[in-house]
Amino acid sequence: MSEYILMLIFLPLVFAITILFNSVRVRNIATYLFVTFLVVISIRLFLFNTIIELSFNHMVHTIFIVIDFILMGYFFYQGIKYKDKLIGIFAVIQLVLFVVFLQFSHTLISQDILVDKVSLVMLLVVNIIGGIIILYSLQYIQSEEFKACKKNLFISILFFFIGVMNLIVTTNNIEIFFLAFELTTLCSYILIRFRNDELSIINARRALWMNQIGGVAILLSLLSGVYYYDTIYYDTLIQNIDGLFLLPISLLVIAAFVKGASIPFDKWLLGAMVAPTPVSAILHSATMVKIAPYLILKISPAFSPTISLAVIFFGTFVFMSASLLALGKDFFKEILGLSTIALLALMMAIASIGTPEAINICLILIVFHAISKALLFLQAGVLEKVYHLKYLQDIDYLASRSKLLVFFIVVGFASLALPPFGAFIGKFASIELVASLVRENIFYIFPLLFILIGSVFLTLLYFKVLTKLIAQDNKVYETISIPWTYKFTSFILVGLLFFGVYISYVYNFMSHLEIIVAAFLILLTFALLYMLKFKNIKRVSTYNCAEKDSVILSAYYFHIANKYKELIVYISIFIMVIVVYLGII
Amino acid sequence: MEYLLILLAPIFGGLIYGMERVVRARMQNRVGPPILQPFYDMYKLFGKEPFMINNYHIVFAIMHLMTLWVAVGLVIFGANLLYVIFIHLLSSIFLVLAGYSVNSVYSHIGSNRELLSIVAYEPILIFVAVGFYILNSSFDIDIIRSQVSQVPQLVLLFLAFLLIIPIKLKKSPFDATEAHQEIVGGVEVEFSGVFFEILYMAKWIEYIFIYSILLLFAGDSFLYGGLIFLSVFFLVNLIDNSTARIKIEHLVKITLFIGLSLSVLNLVMLGV
Repeated sequence: MSEYILMLIFLPLVFAITILFNSVRVRNIATYLFVTFLVVISIRLFLFNTIIELSFNHMVHTIFIVIDFILMGYFFYQGIKYKDKLIGIFAVIQLVLFVVFLQFSHTLISQDILVDKVSLVMLLVVNIIGGIIILYSLQYIQSEEFKACKKNLFISILFFFIGVMNLIVTTNNIEIFFLAFELTTLCSYILIRFRNDELSIINARRALWMNQIGGVAILLSLLSGVYYYDTIYYDTLIQNIDGLFLLPISLLVIAAFVKGASIPFDKWLLGAMVAPTPVSAILHSATMVKIAPYLILKISPAFSPTISLAVIFFGTFVFMSASLLALGKDFFKEILGLSTIALLALMMAIASIGTPEAINICLILIVFHAISKALLFLQAGVLEKVYHLKYLQDIDYLASRSKLLVFFIVVGFASLALPPFGAFIGKFASIELVASLVRENIFYIFPLLFILIGSVFLTLLYFKVLTKLIAQDNKVYETISIPWTYKFTSFILVGLLFFGVYISYVYNFMSHLEIIVAAFLILLTFALLYMLKFKNIKRVSTYNCAEKDSVILSAYYFHIANKYKELIVYISIFIMVIVVYLGII
Repeated sequence: MEYLLILLAPIFGGLIYGMERVVRARMQNRVGPPILQPFYDMYKLFGKEPFMINNYHIVFAIMHLMTLWVAVGLVIFGANLLYVIFIHLLSSIFLVLAGYSVNSVYSHIGSNRELLSIVAYEPILIFVAVGFYILNSSFDIDIIRSQVSQVPQLVLLFLAFLLIIPIKLKKSPFDATEAHQEIVGGVEVEFSGVFFEILYMAKWIEYIFIYSILLLFAGDSFLYGGLIFLSVFFLVNLIDNSTARIKIEHLVKITLFIGLSLSVLNLVMLGV
């Protein structure tokens, strides 16, 4: 099995280089074949469901260290080139810390690669959802005005990203984890500035220095781990750690907050919107931000009860605040982005509980959030490319223009908020779980409050957006055909969502009755919409109290005053400081 | 027996609605319509020529009714309370979508307000469920119903629940979602004839839903159940008759602020 893992990690990197200089046709066919290959391998690994261990030899380790240095040097160069002090300073700090780290040796040795159940699920998410998004971007990138070579480069980087993600979710060595973490930072930096205009570069630089903070946190964690506990491996660290000194763990938590774009680090993910839409899709669903809940899942066994409580406070608080902030946004992708930030924070909160039940809930949330968000971002891309729409206030009467597109968006939002879809099951189970914790410790009442209010805000948000799409008028619009690649990939994702309902039925994520009832209601709605045409009934135009004025659609916006935004940032920074503090005492 | 209850739920709802109109009339010193007036209205609507705007509008209304009925059915069968609340949320969402699917200002305003009112009452509804869960370590309505009345332990949550009843039943002072004089019934405005009947019937079932959740506070005692139902029924109508409508923003603020404080306080009391 171990060769499968190596294939998943290194073949995408090799493939990324080979497609650089091919014609569009060859590139597309090769990409379809290779994505199928990745998907098949990850599914096979998942079905075998064994624990896989392997280690790299000394040579590979040395190469990794060299790459580390090259990366930090590159970041430092970027800092100099754009005269960006933050990037430069963080690069220097990383360099110094890394050199100091290399002076230490450690005696507790473990495996470099350790694949358990959580990793297998993550591999599925990365390869299947990531693969689908790459297929989508084959079409998308053709509609951009880049040189042919740069278009190939785009696809290459996406594959590279997938390979790095496969490494990050399987490695057990924190040093390799740091390398992969920096490589994802590099990928996101290149992808965000892909358009190479002023705004892209500014946003990419912001993403870079924020993610560098995560890198610094990991290096500090490495240093304290090797100094106090004589190890750089997750499993030995968790086994040997002393509950009274958890600094290595709490620093990793900070790294997770950075990658998960939790407030106050939310700016980098929102800034990533300037890149071509598949970039947002892949950042939000399959890669990058999903590192955050994964990392928390990985280290939560070492949490002390107080750290766990602090992370839950942080996660649920960000969940509520991000949902609230999303209510005031108009840019379609920004709304999706803030809802991602909210849900990621929820995942981190649940992951930090660390019981087997909590781990399952977190995995359910990770998987289904990935599918739904991928679906929604693909539609955001279609809206931009085919209909030239970006802002919520412009997308009136979409239902009169393209029923299919509205169907995809409705399924996307419904699958995040309504039963019987997976993301709902995750949220439902989280409420149950936290409610059961309230019985043990009354402090959990506040996380519960945050989750409830946050999920109501999110529901309000999703349906506020839908309201704009679903209204119909009687005008005749010219029909614009959507390219089949867009439809094909979206249908696969919708299929996966419904397959997820079947899986949750088989594995009893909710009781059978509960799933059947909700699935019946949802399917009945689609069936009725499709079948009931009321041919014999007279149509009238709206009564509208006989007012003749034309109707302009609008939705509520919630203006959130700046002082509240600042308050939210201060509170989350405060909780973060507490997390680190709890690691020291 | 349960199936019969579910089947007859709209009839009971209609009767409560009819009774309500009588009670309200008496409070205003009027004679009022007969108790069966809602059913006469129903019968009359059947005779009207059907008009419609588009099929989305009608299908979402049908789904609103269906889902609400299913929610009531689940309560009667004693399913998971938290799940029932989310199915009820789904039904409200269908109503909102119905309101938006036509191109009419009043309908849209009604839907917008419906969404805002969801923000106001939904957290409190879930907190009520959590309160029961903490006492009984289960969300199952069957188990909650087999206990003795839990009003003494959950008195603040009970009050919070009373606060949201007028929102769901569209009673003053919390009836901004419908507001006949102002936005002509909100979502209802574009429905007519036989299609309006769907919404009319859904309204009756909403009565059954809200009052059946209320009866959970009575536990296994029929006497308490009757007492609670009658007194709340009277209280809601009394308040409806004696207050004026407030704005939707105030509705959200008041219910969230008071309701959530009461709920949290109650849960903290349970914990210590």
